[in-house]
Amino acid sequence: MTTTSPLQHPVDLRRTLSRYRLAGLWRMMRGFRGPYLGATLALALSATSKTATYLLLRYFADMVAGEAQPVLGDSLTQAFAWVALGFVLLALFEGGFSFLSGRLAAYTAEGIARRLREYLFDHIQRLSVAYHSHASTGDLVERSTSDVDAVRRFFADQAIGAGRIVLLFGINFAAIYRLHPRLAWASVLVIPFILAISVWFFRRVSQAYEAYQEQEARLTTTLQENLSGVRVVKAFARQDFEKGKFETENRRKFLRGRKLIWMHSWFWSVSDVVLGMQMLGGFVYAALLAIQGVITVGTYLAYVGLVAWLIWPIRNLGRMIVQASTGLVSYGRLVDILREEPEPLEEGDYRPSGPARGAVVFENVSFTYKDEALPALEGITFRCEAGQSVALLGSTGSGKTTLVNLLPRFHEYTGGRILLDGVELKRYPRAWLRRQIGIVEQEPFLFSRSLRENIAYGAGREVSQEEIEAAARAAAIHAVILSFPDGYDTLVGERGVTLSGGQKQRIAIARALLKDPRILILDDSTSSVDTETEALIRSALERLMQGRTTFIIAHRIQSVMNADLILVLDKGRIVQMGAHETLLAQDGMYRRIYDIQTRVDAELERMISTGALQEQHTPTLSDISHV
Amino acid sequence: MSEIELEEEEYTSQITFPVFKRILGLLKPHWRWLLGFLLAIALVSVLDSLFTYINKGIIDQGIMQRDTRALYQLALRYGFWQVVQAGMVFAFIYLTGVLGERVQYDLRKMTFEHLQELSLSYYARNAVGRLMTRVTSDSERVADLMTWGLLDVVWGATNILTATVFMLIINWKLAVIVFAMMPLLVYVAVQFRKRILLEFRTARRMNSKITGAYNETITGVRVIKALNREEQNLGEFRVLTDSMYRASYRAAWLSALFLPAVQFVAAVVLAIIVWYGGLQALRGALTVGGIHAFVSYVTFMLWPVQDLARVFSELQRAIASAERIFTLVDTAPEVRDRPGAVPAETLTGVIEFENVDFYYEERKPVIRNLSLRVQPGEMIALVGPTGGGKSTIVNLLCRFYEPCSGVIRINGRDYREYTLESIHRRIGMVLQTPHLFSGSIRENIRYGRQEASDAEVEEAARLAGAHEFITGLEKGYDTEVGEGGVLLSTGQKQLISLARAILARPEVFIMDEATSSVDTLTEALIQRGMGTLLRGRTSFVIAHRLSTIRRADRILVIEDGRIAESGTHAELLRLHGHYYRLYTRQFRHELAQQYGAEPALA
Repeated sequence: MTTTSPLQHPVDLRRTLSRYRLAGLWRMMRGFRGPYLGATLALALSATSKTATYLLLRYFADMVAGEAQPVLGDSLTQAFAWVALGFVLLALFEGGFSFLSGRLAAYTAEGIARRLREYLFDHIQRLSVAYHSHASTGDLVERSTSDVDAVRRFFADQAIGAGRIVLLFGINFAAIYRLHPRLAWASVLVIPFILAISVWFFRRVSQAYEAYQEQEARLTTTLQENLSGVRVVKAFARQDFEKGKFETENRRKFLRGRKLIWMHSWFWSVSDVVLGMQMLGGFVYAALLAIQGVITVGTYLAYVGLVAWLIWPIRNLGRMIVQASTGLVSYGRLVDILREEPEPLEEGDYRPSGPARGAVVFENVSFTYKDEALPALEGITFRCEAGQSVALLGSTGSGKTTLVNLLPRFHEYTGGRILLDGVELKRYPRAWLRRQIGIVEQEPFLFSRSLRENIAYGAGREVSQEEIEAAARAAAIHAVILSFPDGYDTLVGERGVTLSGGQKQRIAIARALLKDPRILILDDSTSSVDTETEALIRSALERLMQGRTTFIIAHRIQSVMNADLILVLDKGRIVQMGAHETLLAQDGMYRRIYDIQTRVDAELERMISTGALQEQHTPTLSDISHV
Repeated sequence: MSEIELEEEEYTSQITFPVFKRILGLLKPHWRWLLGFLLAIALVSVLDSLFTYINKGIIDQGIMQRDTRALYQLALRYGFWQVVQAGMVFAFIYLTGVLGERVQYDLRKMTFEHLQELSLSYYARNAVGRLMTRVTSDSERVADLMTWGLLDVVWGATNILTATVFMLIINWKLAVIVFAMMPLLVYVAVQFRKRILLEFRTARRMNSKITGAYNETITGVRVIKALNREEQNLGEFRVLTDSMYRASYRAAWLSALFLPAVQFVAAVVLAIIVWYGGLQALRGALTVGGIHAFVSYVTFMLWPVQDLARVFSELQRAIASAERIFTLVDTAPEVRDRPGAVPAETLTGVIEFENVDFYYEERKPVIRNLSLRVQPGEMIALVGPTGGGKSTIVNLLCRFYEPCSGVIRINGRDYREYTLESIHRRIGMVLQTPHLFSGSIRENIRYGRQEASDAEVEEAARLAGAHEFITGLEKGYDTEVGEGGVLLSTGQKQLISLARAILARPEVFIMDEATSSVDTLTEALIQRGMGTLLRGRTSFVIAHRLSTIRRADRILVIEDGRIAESGTHAELLRLHGHYYRLYTRQFRHELAQQYGAEPALA
């Protein structure tokens, strides 16, 4: 089963993959094969028209020289007019077909690039959270853009370009062969040699070019570090040092550029001599044949024109071949991504018609991350009725986040059972399940679009401005939004405002309110916001939690006390479980944490009233060592 | 391609003589290279025409006269000039290419070195990304114009010119006809180029948006999954790929139409030649070789026309790049040494602000009438809300900026009478977000004092409390920190920047304390390092931590560019004013941390 229906993507690229890259490319071209073959055909016709022009020139010259009789028209004057017309017509053909070929090739290349972009985009957003937590964003973006572009160039430039050179060679060779076979063979003596040299050269030059670009990247890094660290540079009066550093990189780039130029100078000039001599040899041979009367002067003229198209383009064939091979490498890098299995969003045999109630049961649940030996969660068992709240308490790495990530099936539990409303979680389709769950993260991710769009982002339906504002009011962010000049149209991020952690969190709360989920996951961290905001967020959260099953990842006792059930986690296990009063009565981790916080409050009160902070001790290494 | 570059490409400039002259001035030191490549390319192009002319000879004197000796002679000449031309090809590629790299190098050096001199105010006004394009793409574009662009123009012009001369020699009437068609050819070519460029720019802009969309989708993938946004996202993404497709498809087929269109104009010319030339030939006014030469010249002329079109369509943008570079290097640093400035002997005396006012923009005062007297060795803690003016006070003290009115005195003397370098050399600074440079840890610490020995570097690290963690790393002091220090944690970066400041042996120490939390152990190490650094030195700390504030001799609460409260910690708390409100909550947190409650909860 695939997640992408044929309706969504005209071609399911995952099905076109093959062990052989060229075969894969060919299969991916579905719908474009006709146009692309058409482009090749048009190219051939255009090349033929060009060749025909020279043959017409031959006929014309022979008439002028008196070696041929006019076929059309009674007199030479009339015949010349026909020939002139012929030239114009052939130019039209040549140009027309060349344009057609270019257009069809562009249609194919751009079409395939679009197909790849869309498919990759969709594929990537459907890869599992597990995949994304290991993949590097930069690498994925790089592949989705540069490598797609390399594949585009493969179709637009390299494949068709190489085809053009081969066609030109074939057609013109055939034409010369028809004029005089031995002359044809004599004209291509150095071709294999030049072809080999050019492949070798372009392979080397592309390496040198890579080195040049690497150096450019280094130079840019140096520059960027210098400019963004300008205060440090100035504070340490290190301008001269920086100039020296930049000079080193700058000079190195110059030297690498020079090396590149040096290689080019040799290749183009040496191949110029070799090919020029080949041309000249052909000219002399053909001229001798003409003097001996074996061929006419018109034939000679035609030959001079044709042979240029036989010889000069060959040098570029090497370039096309080398570049095409990098295009294939890029395609291979895309295939790596496509081979990854996407998350099936609609898979699952139990799909209730209404919303979930929200009763959650964990039965001896365990979970181990892929490629890790130790389980992240083990023996987790608890139950929570619909509408209740569960608080998770524990240090970093104790498994709080991992536990809540199992609910929307971001990760699949590896042992035990989780039941939602009495049905095992794995039987619900992910998409349905995620619609029932709202998440408010500690540092919520906002998209670089307007605040309005950010709030309406997950509603999954058309939302009116009134609804958005109501949600924003309930999340205590409405006033903040109105304080921006553009109000709800204010853009978030680089091109707009930068929101504080607390503001982002309240946007996320508004977003969750609009989504109206049955189950809520809150990462309750208010440590980075000031007192006033904290109170606002707290009341907004309380409104949000009403009537929903809530899982709170808590950092402070205050946010835990009112929960129906508190789970104290340590190293992936539940070490204590119960309501606030129950846990407080036990001798355990919970009470220790509680005591410390109460002591802190008391102490602070005392210090402020006496101004005695001065006598407090500073933490020293010996204090720290037993933490 | 960044947004900034795309944006700036929109600006084009009129070609004005002074700018052009100044651009040419860039080539002045390398005039030999310039002359060399111009001669080489001119010769290449003359020879191209000559080859056609020799071919005419082969036909007219060799084949038509059945003269084998004439043929061999002509072939020999052809071969000789072919070798010469190859030499010239070598010369022009090498000279032009290397000159291009060299001019780029010069421009980068010039812009970079000037940027080093500019004041912080300039950096505040100009985004780093924008400044980078001056040094990178603007420099490249100007260098490209001055070398390859110039080459194309000279090659094209010589080609057209020599071809014209040869045509005039062969048959002047026909030559005039051909020449009359040239403007049309050039016009068509330039129009095409402009349209194509426009579409390409749209495509590039869409491409940068697509990259942005990928980036955002991948970083926000959890939210997308949680909110079931996949379908809708794809729909929105398709809008982008559609416009990208349209623009690049159009650009591609316009390019594909470009050559045929130019060729067709040429074909019409060719037809005229054939028809008219044929008639002339019948009357004996033109030879077969002559007609063939015309055909070759006209066919060949298409290439220079294309190249000229390319250069002209890009000329305006290159000029705009040059103007931006010139504007940069013409900007004078706002803070610089006054005539007759003397090096400061020491900064260990009294530091005094007297009625200092400062604003970045007129009528938006940042510091108002601030007066302050700091005794040698005193530690001042600056606290207060963001945007209150704490950083500005520190920037003024470092003389990154100078007061708009009022005076800052060091040792009783206006600090503007000292040289900048002598002030900066005696100030040590630790920034809120520690800025490290790519390279090893050792290199980064040594940034504080270049001539310090390895032993001194290690000593500084030890004092900063960084030595333990550094030696715990696999490669120790030679560990690479990565671009901007990404391979290290924030706490580690702070320790290294402390060590860097300690190594500089400053007389005045300035620290903008980090707000981001570090683990308790690192925090204790930082505190200890600071203790070492502050001992006996005048220091200013923009403080966020209780432990730092407690250490201060005096705390200044800065609000709205003024000193709102001033005193010791206990005094300020008892006031129950700004300070009290600002800090009670944070202290609660920090205390909890001290008692070890937070590690269990975080």
